[in-house]
Amino acid sequence: MNGAHDMGGMHGFGPINPEPDEPVFHAEWEKRVFALTVATGFGGEWNIDMVRFARESTDPAIYLRSTYYEKWLLGLQRLLIERGHLSEDEIARRMARIAAEQAAGGQR
Amino acid sequence: MRVLQLDNVQEVLRAGDSARLPSNAAARFKPGDAVRTRNFQPPGHTRLPRYARAKHGVVAIDHGVFVFPDTHAASGDKKPQHLYSVRFTMRELWGEGASDIDTVHMDMFDDYLQPA
Repeated sequence: MNGAHDMGGMHGFGPINPEPDEPVFHAEWEKRVFALTVATGFGGEWNIDMVRFARESTDPAIYLRSTYYEKWLLGLQRLLIERGHLSEDEIARRMARIAAEQAAGGQR
Repeated sequence: MRVLQLDNVQEVLRAGDSARLPSNAAARFKPGDAVRTRNFQPPGHTRLPRYARAKHGVVAIDHGVFVFPDTHAASGDKKPQHLYSVRFTMRELWGEGASDIDTVHMDMFDDYLQPA
């Protein structure tokens, strides 16, 4: 698809700044997104190209301002919703609960 | 459904996965052949970037037979076919002002190519 992911030749994004000794993960939650993607994919309900297509299908404006593992999470959410494993409402309610717990000073 | 168990994680991650297929699918092209990439705008997944559509190049390497991502993403059909490294000049890809001696090699599936 002619999505925002197909960026070859686009201008205006500024310089690429490679990090020396770039870490595999930049935040703890990224490890969890990686693990979720591998664990759910292992079931064989979808393949790697279906996961890539799901990521590419993210709204272009959201895609362009998302980080690498945010794109992974958005793609996985799309697949889980499309295949009926989760609903948008369930995700929203869970996020609200976590936010409330954090606001109350509790541990996730 | 397969379930990833804690005990298997290291092994699964270390082994990885390959898209290479054992297949005797015929190669339509060979190294040295002049080719032109197709110009299509598929609504589904493709590994043919927009900037490389309808471009002339030369086959450099035949990598062998691999899963075709376009159909694999849509239906799971692996559609085994040859994957080639194709050489394009910067001038061909990026037009006037771009180098006509510097080149880019891109991996191209058989279905992306036409004889030129």
